[in-house]
This record gives sequence, C-alpha cells and structure tokens, in this order.
Amino acid sequence: MLGFLLHALFASVLSSLSLALFSPFVTLRKVSYLGEALSHIAFAGIALALLLGLHLQLVTLIFVVGVALAITWLSRRHQLQEANAITIFLSVSMALGIVLISLRRGYTFDLANYLFGNVLLASPGEIWQLGILSAVNLAFIIFFFKELFYLSYNADMAEFFRLPVRAVDRAFIILLAANIVITLRAAGIILVSAQLILPAATAFNLVRRLDQAVAVSALVAILAAVGGFALSWWLNLPTGANIVLLEFLLYLISLAFRPKRGS
Amino acid sequence: MIKISGVTHSFDGNIVLEDIDLELAEGEFAAIIGPNGAGKSTLIKLILGFLPLQSGSIEIDGVPHHLWLRQNPMGYLPQTEEFDRRFPATALDLVLLGLAGELRIGRRFSKSHRQKALEALETTKTAHLASQQLGGLSGGELQRVFLARAIVSDSKYLILDEPEASVDLPGVQSFFELLKELNSQGKTIVTISHDLNILTSYCSFLICLNRTLHCHTQTELVNAEIIQKTFGETVRLIEKEY
Repeated sequence: MLGFLLHALFASVLSSLSLALFSPFVTLRKVSYLGEALSHIAFAGIALALLLGLHLQLVTLIFVVGVALAITWLSRRHQLQEANAITIFLSVSMALGIVLISLRRGYTFDLANYLFGNVLLASPGEIWQLGILSAVNLAFIIFFFKELFYLSYNADMAEFFRLPVRAVDRAFIILLAANIVITLRAAGIILVSAQLILPAATAFNLVRRLDQAVAVSALVAILAAVGGFALSWWLNLPTGANIVLLEFLLYLISLAFRPKRGS
Repeated sequence: MIKISGVTHSFDGNIVLEDIDLELAEGEFAAIIGPNGAGKSTLIKLILGFLPLQSGSIEIDGVPHHLWLRQNPMGYLPQTEEFDRRFPATALDLVLLGLAGELRIGRRFSKSHRQKALEALETTKTAHLASQQLGGLSGGELQRVFLARAIVSDSKYLILDEPEASVDLPGVQSFFELLKELNSQGKTIVTISHDLNILTSYCSFLICLNRTLHCHTQTELVNAEIIQKTFGETVRLIEKEY
C-alpha cells in the first residue's frame, strides 16, 4: 500500500516538475497555445497506436513531434500564421482521433484516464521515465540557457547576432512535445496545459529574472503536487484536478506580490 | 567596403529596388534618404541578410555578404524591435546579446564580456541603467541601450534604421554627436533618416533613393534639386531648433 502511494506521489511531483521547468519559456515565447494544442493532438496519436496495436507512448510521441514540427515548418515556410496552423492541426487531429477510435469497434478504452490524468496508474517504469524527463529538461535548460533566453526575447534578433536559435528552437519544440506525451497519463490531456502556464505565471509575479523564475516555477509545481496529492488522499478527489486548482490558488496569492509596472 | 551591384528587389511583383549599384568606402558616415516606400529599409535588410537577394550581389570586404555576416559581427540598430516590455531582461542582458555570436553554443558570458558590455553602455551614456529592467526604460534610453548592443562587438560597420524615430528632439542631436564620435574612431556608419537638417550636419555621404538610386556622393555635392528629384515632389527644408 505504501509503495503504491509513493509511486503515485512521485508521479504527481515529477510530472508537475517536468512541465514547470518548461513553463517560463512556454510563457515568454507565447507558445502556451501550442502546448494546449499538442496535448489534444496526442489524442489522435493514442487512437492511431490503438488501431495499429503498436506501442502507445512511442507512436503518440512520434505523431505529436511530427505535427509540432509540421506546424512550425508550415508557419515559417508558407507564411501561415502560427495560430491558424495550430488550429488546423488541432481540429484535424481531433477529427482523426475520433474516426480512428470509431474504427476500432468493440475495443474498451478508458479515455477518461487520458483526458483527466490518473497518477494511481503510474508504474515504476513510468516513474523512471518522468524522472529522466525532469533531468533532461533541467540539463537542456542549464546548457542552452543563453540561447533559450534570447530565443524567448526575439528569435530574429538572436539569429542576427549569430546565435544558433533555429536548432535550439527545434530541440525545444521536440522536448515540449515529449513532455506533453510523457506526462499525459499523469497530468491528463485537458489539464496538462494549465501546468505548463500557471507555475511561470506565478513565478513572474514574484521574481524578475528568468533563472529565478525557473526555480520558483519548479517550487510552485512541487508544492501544488504534494498538496494536491495529499488532498486527493484525504478527500478522495482526483489528483490532477487538485494540482491545477492549487497552482491556480498560488497564482492568485502571487498577484498580491506583483511588482508595479515600471518600478 | 560595402559593394552593392545590380540589386533589384520586388515584393509580390512590385519592384521596390531597381538595379542598385553602390560602393561605400570604409570610414564613411553615410545617410540613406528618400520618401516612404522608397526601398530604404529593404536595402538595409538586404545588406544585413534579413531578406534573401533576388538578383545582383552584395559584398562586404570583398566577401559575399551572407558569408561575411556568418563570420563577423555586424552593428545594427533597428527602427523598432519586437519584444515584450515585461520580458525579464536588464539593459546589460540586452547589450550582451551583441556578444553572443562570439561564444560557442551552451557557453556562458564571462566577466570580461560583462565588462565589455558595461563599457559599451558607458559609451552610450547609459551605464547607470545596466541593471534596470527593459520595461522601465524610456524610448530614448532604450534606443541608446540598443546602440550599445550594436557597438559592443567592435564591428567596423554600424547600420541604423531611423535611429531618431523614438528619440525626442533634444535627444536626436546628442545621439548623432555620439555617432559622429564613433565615426571619428573609424566606424563606417550607414543610417536611414528623414531629418535632412541633421544629415547635412553630420553625414559625409548621401545616398538618395527612390526605387532607383538618384545620387550617391559626398553630402556637400547634393543640392536641393537632387533631393527634390528623389522625393518626387516639392520638399521644404524646415530649420529645426534642438
């Protein structure tokens, strides 16, 4: 029983932490809508894996990374507005997912676990995955901090000043997609994007430097994950929803500490 | 030296620049003038590699410009720069971007990079703003911080796109005094400007552009007739008091 609980707690903390580490960059680069879309696009990947009877996470990961790169390529090469490209792929992926699920008649699949997340289902293997993901995220942020900082500031100017931002941007998009797919079962399709935005939104109300914002985001995520898990244990409530609500509560509290503009 | 040969550029079939041939010697303080839509910004964007060349060639120091830009720092001050005013960066962070190309991927700025950035801020008289957040800077202060970023890498060239656009009138003169000082130290400067009074006072070389090149010569050789021809209408020179 204790081992089962610890697994669920680790899954909550690590999935929230992974997303929170990326959160300041997603917020500054204003790609939160892309994060939201990718979590929904994953639905088509899941449906495709189920239809083909292939490894669910691997197929979803390849599908989501492929679509994420297609969105950035389309908006850059064909001057299609990124928001429009995202909306097109989001709608088409959802439609594709529904058609593929319908084709797999007679198959019982608990979609609710993917829609809202369920940390209780986390296996030791998945906890290892989430742990490695958090470590990779942290290493990526530390190593490419300068590039990510100026990429978030203004990608065109960063490129003009000879920073290899295109390669870092591509790596960022691939890792963002990987974060969404790997945390999906713990965080949920519907709730994952909230965990990509709220920690940074809270952090930027409290601190003014990007490195500090990454640290505060991580702290917010850990607090909300532990609190959310405790609440779900005591009150028998869904963990993913608790985490999001606690992160929102922390965000509301942080508003009181928000520095005045220009000060 | 910047050498532009036979450059023609169009957007959606509309020719913006036509058969431009131009040579800019080292040490010049050149100004590009012309009416709105004359192709001034397009010419600058082509030199800086922001737009791909459709025809003709641009060479910097005898090397195709895209190769030169890949290997050398270029000083550039854009007319406007898109960024979130709440972005968590200080003036010093912004200036350090000018040195980012010197570092390998993944490497951090050293103490000497920071010192260099502070010196650039000192040159543009904004060292006291080094730790200020970008959102707290006025338009004029921001313009000087951008200038510090443009000169921090010690590029021999400095290209400016309407630097006076976001500076108040008294600030324009001191800004151009600063450019004049940089020019006297050997920097080749190319600037777009609408302020003919300022240009005739500070620039040594005038490029009159209105789709085609109307003149490219020493400032004192340009007369009202050439300027009028460039603008295609009657131009009134108004004496401004700074």
